Amino acid sequence: MSGKVSLQILLYGVVCLAILLVPMVIDDAFLLNKYSRYLVFGILAIALALSWGYAGILNLGQATTFGLGSYCMAMYLKLKTVPIHTGSDGLPDFMVWNNVTELPWIWEPFYSTPFALAAGILVPALFAGLLGWFMFGGRVTGVYAAIITLAAMVVVNLIIIDQQSYTGGFNGITDLAQFQLFGFEFDAYSATTYYLVAICLTFALFLSLAVTRSKTGLILQAVRDQEERVRFFGYDVAVYKTFVFAFSAAIAGLAGMLYTIVMEFASPTFLGVPLSLSIVIWVAVGGRQSLLGAMLGALLVTGVQGALSESETFLDTWTLVMGGLFVLIVLFLPNGLAGAFETIVRRFMPAAKTPTEQADEEHAKGTAQLGGAA
Amino acid sequence: MTTAHEGLLSLREATVSFHGFVAVDHLDLDVGAGELRCLIGPNGAGKTTTLDLICGKSKITSGEISFKGAPIHMLNEFQIARTGIGRKFQVPSVFRQLSVRENLCIGRSRNPGVLHNLFQFGLSTDREWLEEIAVLVGLQDEMETLAAHLSHGQTQWLEIALILAQNPALILMDEPTAGMTAHETTKTAMLFNRLRGKHTLIVVEHDMGFVRDIAETISVMHQGKLLAQGSTEEVSHDPRVREAYLGSGGIGHA
Repeated sequence: MSGKVSLQILLYGVVCLAILLVPMVIDDAFLLNKYSRYLVFGILAIALALSWGYAGILNLGQATTFGLGSYCMAMYLKLKTVPIHTGSDGLPDFMVWNNVTELPWIWEPFYSTPFALAAGILVPALFAGLLGWFMFGGRVTGVYAAIITLAAMVVVNLIIIDQQSYTGGFNGITDLAQFQLFGFEFDAYSATTYYLVAICLTFALFLSLAVTRSKTGLILQAVRDQEERVRFFGYDVAVYKTFVFAFSAAIAGLAGMLYTIVMEFASPTFLGVPLSLSIVIWVAVGGRQSLLGAMLGALLVTGVQGALSESETFLDTWTLVMGGLFVLIVLFLPNGLAGAFETIVRRFMPAAKTPTEQADEEHAKGTAQLGGAA
Repeated sequence: MTTAHEGLLSLREATVSFHGFVAVDHLDLDVGAGELRCLIGPNGAGKTTTLDLICGKSKITSGEISFKGAPIHMLNEFQIARTGIGRKFQVPSVFRQLSVRENLCIGRSRNPGVLHNLFQFGLSTDREWLEEIAVLVGLQDEMETLAAHLSHGQTQWLEIALILAQNPALILMDEPTAGMTAHETTKTAMLFNRLRGKHTLIVVEHDMGFVRDIAETISVMHQGKLLAQGSTEEVSHDPRVREAYLGSGGIGHA
């Protein structure tokens, strides 16, 4: 493992540690809830950076898989509530209002905790895997793939709104029980939930880092650069793209489940165009070819957005300010803040290289000389 | 000077037409294992298209292409590559955003499965093998350089190195010396002579000096058909070949 990689792991670790230490300093339940929400968005940004930044698949429907994860968790937590307005079988309230008399079969397995938790990850992954298989098997690329992801999201969104008796329709699934696992109770307004989200974020970040650092990650980057070329080495490009699309969906599904815990409801707006486009903006601002950059981009943009929309000066103009900032970054920092950071490091470090890079080079020179002598 | 080789690749009546234009017309071509075959011909003769047909970039309209005794023309590009055919393109196509080492690592595609490669880290596997190949093409000091920062000649060599890393039985080279300096061309000819016997090569080339340096058998194509085949001597004295090259000053100046 080269020094550059260890340095990257160290940087990622420090950021995750800093995130985990936040509740030591802040003891405001409202703030912690808000920050948990931002962290969930950070996980979503990692998911998009994987498919967009590393494999060149611009997913304009990332919120689809996020929403599916969110609904899985909501269905599970809904069945855990002590029914108030229910019929004889303890049906979810909105089903009673819709004259449903029996729990639909699709809801039945969500009584089981392992099933629900697995479904929150696997349902989005399977959905994306199927969509990806048709798209990439049919060699749909670029803007056409982006449009298909967007269209698929609109379809899923409409189905959820339309199937009111099973999904709660426009209102979504509200009035949920608190999530409990291994004896912990995850109150949305507590440090416990913040820790849960932060730990999941760390896990998602490092798992994604491992994928991008593997040979599969390398091949995905090659696909991004020259898709045609990769085929002639014997790689099945469609399988690689489908894999990263589904993997990204699984991470988005995890984010969706956490979002339900943090927000205490699930709503069709979670699968909306505005959220999906916001993810693209976060990732573009942070830097799509850096997982950490994309994640911090999400925290930064949503954080500034929150601060501006709450400040009295920008009460009416905050969307304009955000839009302006976005335009400036896309114009002047094509690789986002992470790209700018790398440029600065290269410019101000002695000999335009980080010390570890230099060490690597000297090592390489040494071996080359040895080879020459032999 | 044609030596007997065991048959590896054969095209039978291979034909392809693009919207009515017949680019390759009932082409019969046999290449033996270990052979270094040069494919020449005037512009538009169908040389590049022939390579496209073999590696699956284009599909034949009729006829048959078989490799190692089995038909391959109905396979996908990646399936054809897995049977042991590598292709170098006319416009050098490498992964410009990746380093030379990473490029070579991708070329090394013995195990093309997504799950297998998910657990391959640190480029440590095959490290020595990849470094040997880098030495072969003179890129050993550029292992950490981004491919985008290489010179044109180096980019050509990197793509050749990618194919060597892939280690296919049959290598298809489309104008490997295009844009190279005379010195670089000589080095490439030396490299090809080293590859002879270990790999089977089909080289499409315009540079006749280069062809003379490496060729054992030359196939001349004209208007999608095989016009002549034989040693450099035989081919350059063939009146039909002279006819085909008429106007361009003969084969030596093509």
